[in-house]
Amino acid sequence: MEQGIATLAPAMIAAWFLVVVGLIALAVLLYAAMRSRTSPGDLEEAVQAFRSLDIEAFRNLVDSDEEAFLRDHLPLRKFREIKRQQAWAAFLYAWEAGRAATGLAMLGQAAQRSSDPKIAASGAQAAENAFRLRVQTFKAGLILLAGVLFPDLQSRPIPALVDQYERSAETLFLIGRVSSARGLVGSKSA
Amino acid sequence: MLSGNWPSELSQFLWVAPTVLLGGLAVVLGKRPFYREFPCFFAYVLYVVADNILLYALLKVKVSGNHYAYAWAATLLPSIALRFGVIDEVAKNLFRESQFLKVAARRSLQVITGLLLGTGILFAVWAPGNTRPQWFASVMVVNRGAAMVQTGLLLSLLLFSRFLGLSWRRHAFGITLGLGILASVDLATYALRAEFAGRNWTRFLNFILTGTYFVCASIWTRYLLVPELKPVPVTVVPDEEVETWNKELQHLLRQ
Repeated sequence: MEQGIATLAPAMIAAWFLVVVGLIALAVLLYAAMRSRTSPGDLEEAVQAFRSLDIEAFRNLVDSDEEAFLRDHLPLRKFREIKRQQAWAAFLYAWEAGRAATGLAMLGQAAQRSSDPKIAASGAQAAENAFRLRVQTFKAGLILLAGVLFPDLQSRPIPALVDQYERSAETLFLIGRVSSARGLVGSKSA
Repeated sequence: MLSGNWPSELSQFLWVAPTVLLGGLAVVLGKRPFYREFPCFFAYVLYVVADNILLYALLKVKVSGNHYAYAWAATLLPSIALRFGVIDEVAKNLFRESQFLKVAARRSLQVITGLLLGTGILFAVWAPGNTRPQWFASVMVVNRGAAMVQTGLLLSLLLFSRFLGLSWRRHAFGITLGLGILASVDLATYALRAEFAGRNWTRFLNFILTGTYFVCASIWTRYLLVPELKPVPVTVVPDEEVETWNKELQHLLRQ
């Protein structure tokens, strides 16, 4: 009988664990449904976020030559401290760039549905660039977090993110130029 | 005032009402080009209606418990397959406008499916079900695993859309929401049904399941019968503000 109870216990734990997982999933779905009703996305906020980023400062933070110089000229303890701070600052930049990319993607998709083919085309391009930027900021964030946790590791270069950021900024500029000439268009999501 | 037989009446209502709702929805959607955009969902709605009518008829002609259980199990597998088809349709619809996402996000979804399948198999080994007969417990465990994968995939789609800033079409969002609710309640109830076979438990869980079908049928009806929002010109920010962004971005690009 004891053996029976022993084999039953994990099954019970599994059952109740899955019940909790199901209920959490349900709560997330209901939250998503309520959010989709209230916020069609603040485009102005997205551009504010884009504007607030200093890409040159980010470039300096992840510069591998700079890192090599610090590694050669500072005591190990000091180097670790500075490296951690730099990696954390760069992580925050990547985080904000990611958020801005999400906003840009929304702006791009809104413009993509415009009846004006020029705005629609630049919207599609902006959205595509923003999706790529978002994915790259995520990857970069993981690398930078690894840098915070393990400062002794040789940093992997993150040039793609900077390039992608600039490409995204260019397309945002393009939308802005076309839109201001013809009137900005957008649409609400589900 | 409630009659003494209200649990049975409520149970009948919760069985018949979603079937009628979904039947009506299928008729309306069949007249629109909707079924070309979401053929799997359309087939799923028709299948659920036919399935409910069949099982209800079997119950009314008072077939034996075993025969009813065989029929229920036999109709379960096509339903699981159709739900996966619906999830694929919704994912295609969500990533339709981006060439990059068609490849990258779908690859991520394949990885997630693999992980969820692995977890489902681990759970099947760890908690193989405690009800009798054993084949019935196995069907519950398979359904529990399928619900786990489906819930995970639908949540991933919602998280991807939020993470990437993807905008949902109203119809696709409604389908995802309804199916997600159904799958997550399936996950919870079949996890319990695989372990508890008592009559009271079964009756209580059946109430929850049929009630969830009613809720989901209402969600689908509400989202799918309301026309898709057309792009409307909105002046989100004044033109002079756009000009300011442009200057800022030009400044950024010159750096």
